[in-house]
Amino acid sequence: MKYELVSGLETHVELSTNTKIFCSCTTEFGGEQNTHCCPICIGLPGTLPKLNEKVVDYAIMAGLATNCEISPISKMDRKNYCYPDLPKAYQISQYDMPLCKNGYIELSNGRKIGITRIHIEEDAGKLIHQRGNTYVDYNRGGVPLIEIVSEPDIRSVEEAREYVEKLQMIMRYIGVSDCKMQEGSLRCDVNISLRPVGQEEFGTRTEIKNMNSFTYMEKAMRYEISRQADLLDSGEAITQETLRYLVEEDRTESMRGKEDANDYRYFREPDLVTIEVSQEKIDYFRSILPELPDPKRHRYVEELGLPETDAAMLVKYRKIAEYFEAACQEVSNPKVVANCIIGQVFRRVENETEKEAFQISIPPQYLRDLVLLLDQGKIKMNLLKSTLEKMLDTGKPASELISESDMGGIDEDTLHQLCSEAIANNPNAVADYLGGKEKALKSLLGHVMKNSRGRADAVEAEKLLIQLANETK
Amino acid sequence: MSITREDILQIATLAKLSVDESELEKLTKDMSEMISFADTISAVSTEASDFDNINGLINVMREDVVEESFDRDEILRNAENQDEGYFLVKKRS
Amino acid sequence: METTYSQIKRISQLLSSKQISCTELTQKYLEKIHAENPVLNAYVKVTDDVALETAKAVDQRIQRGDHLLPLEGVPMTLKDNISTRNIETTCCSKILSGYTPIYDATVWELLQNQNTVLLGKTNMDEFAMGSSCETSCFGGAKNPHNTDYVAGGSSGGGASAVAGNLAAFALGSDTGGSIRQPASFCGIVGLKPTYGSVSRYGLIAYASSFDQIGPITTSVEDAALVYDAISLQDSMDSTCRGGSPASMTLMDDIKGMKIGIVKEYFAGIRDDVRAQIDQAIQVYESLGAQIVRLSMPEIKYGLPVYYILACAEASSNLGRYDGIRYGYKTAHYNDINEMVRKTRSEGFGEEVKHRILLGTYVLSAGYYDAYYKKAQNLRGMIVRSFQNTFQNCDVILAPTVPMTAFQSGSAVKDPVETYQTDLCTVPVNIAGLPAVSIPCGFDSKGLPVGLQIIGNSFCEATILNAAYQYEAATRTETFQAVNMGVQL
Repeated sequence: MKYELVSGLETHVELSTNTKIFCSCTTEFGGEQNTHCCPICIGLPGTLPKLNEKVVDYAIMAGLATNCEISPISKMDRKNYCYPDLPKAYQISQYDMPLCKNGYIELSNGRKIGITRIHIEEDAGKLIHQRGNTYVDYNRGGVPLIEIVSEPDIRSVEEAREYVEKLQMIMRYIGVSDCKMQEGSLRCDVNISLRPVGQEEFGTRTEIKNMNSFTYMEKAMRYEISRQADLLDSGEAITQETLRYLVEEDRTESMRGKEDANDYRYFREPDLVTIEVSQEKIDYFRSILPELPDPKRHRYVEELGLPETDAAMLVKYRKIAEYFEAACQEVSNPKVVANCIIGQVFRRVENETEKEAFQISIPPQYLRDLVLLLDQGKIKMNLLKSTLEKMLDTGKPASELISESDMGGIDEDTLHQLCSEAIANNPNAVADYLGGKEKALKSLLGHVMKNSRGRADAVEAEKLLIQLANETK
Repeated sequence: MSITREDILQIATLAKLSVDESELEKLTKDMSEMISFADTISAVSTEASDFDNINGLINVMREDVVEESFDRDEILRNAENQDEGYFLVKKRS
Repeated sequence: METTYSQIKRISQLLSSKQISCTELTQKYLEKIHAENPVLNAYVKVTDDVALETAKAVDQRIQRGDHLLPLEGVPMTLKDNISTRNIETTCCSKILSGYTPIYDATVWELLQNQNTVLLGKTNMDEFAMGSSCETSCFGGAKNPHNTDYVAGGSSGGGASAVAGNLAAFALGSDTGGSIRQPASFCGIVGLKPTYGSVSRYGLIAYASSFDQIGPITTSVEDAALVYDAISLQDSMDSTCRGGSPASMTLMDDIKGMKIGIVKEYFAGIRDDVRAQIDQAIQVYESLGAQIVRLSMPEIKYGLPVYYILACAEASSNLGRYDGIRYGYKTAHYNDINEMVRKTRSEGFGEEVKHRILLGTYVLSAGYYDAYYKKAQNLRGMIVRSFQNTFQNCDVILAPTVPMTAFQSGSAVKDPVETYQTDLCTVPVNIAGLPAVSIPCGFDSKGLPVGLQIIGNSFCEATILNAAYQYEAATRTETFQAVNMGVQL
């Protein structure tokens, strides 16, 4: 039978505050075990939580950036369960009055994935199991999280991925989290159920816990979808359960037994007071929210005339978009700037981390000055490209790398002379070209460019070379 | 509401307490009494709660400024077992 | 005409006039403790070194001619659920045996800033759960009036120490009556402050929305002095905003003060206790107060509401005792889950386990609405009922306990019946209000009776003013058994 996927995600995002949610210990990643701890975050008897205001602020920003309503009144609750990584045997979270609710994220196919709620809570410590012994490190305990709960609106693995990518992009844009999946600062629980195409009613769902890479998330989802489809095809029922994904074996496995009966016995956290968010505060955070990736991409296409794919590449990382925008100041054709960044600058920032940090040897003003030379007709495209390479190598501005005499290119006679020399000095290449090897022409052009120190207009030179080569016949 | 031995065992599991067969009968009796005592309020009709919190305070928060954490030796001082800076629970004992 | 019953002021005066050094004074207390504590069992730990070290520092300051702070050099005790850095703090539970906190409770920090002399940690019901002090893993504290009787609970050790002159004052904690009831049983003064006026940071939690630290003293003035010293706003406790001073207005006239007598507080009261309370009412009338007869039907739900909500919070607060980070850990186990269960089962006493189970039950799926939520709604009704009552009166007068101290070991085996002793004390904790228990004569067996004065939120000054005026009018007649501190 044909089935349709029904999926919803719970995404945990670690907030990049300086301190933990309920004490003043640092949230820095790494650090020797149990050195970022105090009586509060190891839950010593008699300690009380002190709420970090920044956590509330960041959650409000996350809510606004995902089209949520911000609750004027909310509170903290205790979620009780006993596990060694949770030193108080309860997690302080939000149950029935989350800070944000009823938002959405729009996917590229135009579908809106609803966001049920966003709430704030504390992270647990880390357990290391070795030879049956359990080692506990509470450095991560108390690091602030927001949990973003989606509606079961996701209908494909691709949509799930895009949804998480968009969340990641937005959270990075507004600066509330670095969302590094490999460091666990973004992780997802994926709910999955299937239903026959055309059926309204949802099927029984399972939940895959703690996905911390896009690849594994996709693989785990695909595995789970086919597992459920097989069961349904053979008339068997799906058991509602919590699963973990085994990377090496590429399959999911039930986590049952780990936390036998889950009954979290939520109740209001009596040690913390009511959280009220005023309309002024909401308005303020709305006003300081940066332009988000979607409207930005739209603007690049509509106003700057960039192709959709280029715009998408530039907006993916906030720093790159900012760099691009700074380099576009007063430039008549932003497409050139975009091409420079996508073509030449991107080659120097290969992985995600580098793109996220986007540390480039030249400030955007240097790129702008270079493009302005092209705008003013002082240099040609090929000189721009070769100069940009040199700038990226040396970190120097264009003005130090091209002289006045280089500008304006070379005159027609010199070009003719350089081309004639190239033809005369490379009879084999000429023969190859005339014999049908197009590539040989590039080698001839190379000589011209080299001898002109890049000043020759490549298009003109190529035309001339073809003409001169044919004349040798 | 009456409470059964099975109820007691299930609550004990949630509360991470083990209950011996020998204690179970007395515990069921004691708990039943406590529960029926608690039941005295179940018949009372109440308005939907507008009771919020015993302290009427709002928005008590602190600034996001790092303070030095505790010395690790202090953090681990009261633990019965520790190893290389970790709290340790041995496999069995 | 300054007739003060304040031990604190007297000690302060003796010290600054150099009639006795702080070291000598401290030694006298320590000697008395070592001689008499084996019978009273008020202290579970005596901190001779800490006490003498502070005393020495105080003496140096006196020698230098420094001005003494209000509580400076005064020998006192802390209940064993108040965290003291480097001094074992056990809540009188096996599960916290050997636990030495790495930080100080805010109240202890405040008292240290005043150079008060810590004589030791005092006995209590395990995790403050009990009315006799007998659920302590160290056995119960005895009543100095008659050592066959209990000192009351849960702050029984503090009350026994203060009534037996083994300390000038004590800090206790009151969740459902744990300061007022033992103060009543031991014939001394116990103040349960408004929720949120004294920091709970470092107080090992029983029921977080009920717990409050307060003083146990031999006079109303002392209670006010200690309250003023500890009722400060604290950034470590979000629920604490501090209180306003109460010691400056004790001598104000109470003519025209409206005193409410709420009939529900007298349901089930023993006749000889009632007789004493009735006399107290007459005393107030003679002082010019106006008696208003009132009714608060919601009070009758107080006990079940208290037990449901307090146990629910306790079941969560006590989840952390798993043997991993501190305290007792079971010797033998096969896996981590069994380790935790055995540690808790062996480490907690019976009463504590009962309350954890009840609390877990009322919060669990399927029962939450019938118990926890219902109790929370009733809590709201009781809060409003008090608000309405205080429209018609300034303070409420009631018995602290409808009976007097019971014999050791007789703490009724039936848990529910034992809970009834908390009948008159729990409503105040439910509503977060301040209340003081003061001595009010004796019953037919010569055991002290306690009078409870309840005020509106943050009206400590009002109830202590009323208490002081009663004390001043009656002290010579009723204050016989307790003398004025150690014989010097």
